[in-house]
Amino acid sequence: IFDQSEDGLLGSDQKGCGVLPLNTKVHFIMEAVVASEKGACHANEDEESSGKSNVPERLLKRDQERQEELLRRKEAKESLSVREEKSDFFTSAFNKEKAAIEDVLSGCTEGDGGTTATVLEEVSSRIQQLQKFLNDSMAFLTQYELRQAQASLQKLQSTLGEKRDKLMPKKKFTFRSRNAGTSKSKESPDSKKEDSPGSTAVDGTEGRAGGSRGPMAVDGVISEQQCGLSNADSQVFVKGADEIQQSDVLLTHLSNCKVKLLGSPSTLHIKHVRDCEILCGPVSSSIFLDHCSGCTFAFSCQQLRTHNTTDCQVYLHVTSRAIIEDCSGVRFAPFSWSYPGMEADFEVSGLDRAKNNWSQVDDFNWLSAESPSPNWGVIPEHERKSEWD
Amino acid sequence: MGLLTILKKMKQKEREMRLLMLGLDNAGKTTILKKFNGEDVSTVSPTLGFNIKTLEHRGYKLNIWDVGGQKSLRSYWRNYFESTDGLIWVVDSADRLRLEDCRQELSSLLLEERLAGATLLVFANKQDLPGALSKDAIREGLALDAIKSHHWCIMGCSAVTGESLLAGVDWLLDDIAARIFTAD
Repeated sequence: IFDQSEDGLLGSDQKGCGVLPLNTKVHFIMEAVVASEKGACHANEDEESSGKSNVPERLLKRDQERQEELLRRKEAKESLSVREEKSDFFTSAFNKEKAAIEDVLSGCTEGDGGTTATVLEEVSSRIQQLQKFLNDSMAFLTQYELRQAQASLQKLQSTLGEKRDKLMPKKKFTFRSRNAGTSKSKESPDSKKEDSPGSTAVDGTEGRAGGSRGPMAVDGVISEQQCGLSNADSQVFVKGADEIQQSDVLLTHLSNCKVKLLGSPSTLHIKHVRDCEILCGPVSSSIFLDHCSGCTFAFSCQQLRTHNTTDCQVYLHVTSRAIIEDCSGVRFAPFSWSYPGMEADFEVSGLDRAKNNWSQVDDFNWLSAESPSPNWGVIPEHERKSEWD
Repeated sequence: MGLLTILKKMKQKEREMRLLMLGLDNAGKTTILKKFNGEDVSTVSPTLGFNIKTLEHRGYKLNIWDVGGQKSLRSYWRNYFESTDGLIWVVDSADRLRLEDCRQELSSLLLEERLAGATLLVFANKQDLPGALSKDAIREGLALDAIKSHHWCIMGCSAVTGESLLAGVDWLLDDIAARIFTAD
């Protein structure tokens, strides 16, 4: 119905100069009648209704031509528009496929392991095809139809997800895993703890850092590959390259300790450390400090990230940038510590010895460029430590 | 087919995607961005603000926004949510002590209405470190299996070696493309 009326309007508009629309024409004829029979127009009501019969032959012919033209145009338009671009075609095809997928999904039950996988796989690809169909049809659908279709697709997808979870919970996203062998021991910290009761300094972290809380459990565990120190007071530690070379080192909960890391770790994390002296060989990437106070550090690294740290001295060689956040009283000086074999470790780390930005510290709590941050400073030369034992 | 063909052509011309890269500080976001773009990663410094890169990949124009992850910057993350097609969440796989922080930040992001339509790619970065948690441990630690609101995928990767960066981004592009572009 809509199409026809639109056609009618189109026809009359475009052919306006040749043929007038029907009602205008009647009016036109009326005027002609009025003009010929002056004064008698009021009485002659019949004249209006039977106006058509009085139309001259020429006009009748034009009217017929117009009708034919309309028909021709309509046919032409119909042949142009494609069946697939009609929204009702889309709706029915979409709903049919949707119902089919729903059937398959609801018919899919437990117990037939292998087939379930293939069925779910098939459903997944059918949903994808349906999505593609929707994408292709986007241009001629109304917003409402689009939303409806999108919503039902989402519903299908989530039903599929639920089914998958229920029927084959482990099959989701199984990509190749690098550490497949070792991941098990990391995921079950409790069992690991029981396995090695002779707690080394490393295992001790579990007790404080994570062992007590559920979701944290995985945090506290230091795997066999990660080296570190934790929970120590007034001790001296020296670790050589054999232990720390190109690995990630973690130091936590130390107080009044002296730590020397002679080698080139890949990265270094230091957390909850108080009144310690920590000296470390060149670190390839970043050093991360959190909650430290009253310490003296000697570091060389690519980045230094300092957080929640107060009253510390850092003798630093940093090739890109050092930052502080939520810190106060952190003071910097150029790296001056050395140990036998340090040159070779610098080679291993890949750090540029010629580039040291130790005095360019970004304070994330002080974004003003005009005045310097009050949270950090430079150690005056006469106060700098020159003797390292 | 007149009109539809024209519309399709227009869509193809502007195959543009907006990707937002977030994660805790020191996760390796900027390094991933630089490595993906083939730049030198040894000069990367902690991001004070954000970086934007526009690059062409597989015929798509990618606008990648890398926003600093420091605590003091996290409240600004929301300024970047608008019209994000893909969210890349970067995790430092060796940072066990902050895995719980990481989980919380991610889960609050996923509640964001303006990110509701975005696809989530989790990069378990720093797999080159011997002490890194495996991809599966990260998946468990971040409770990814509980995410029903977004399409997601986790990839173990290393920004330093470049391992699996491409595979991850390719997955993300495929997922986004299936949703917003006329697939052909």
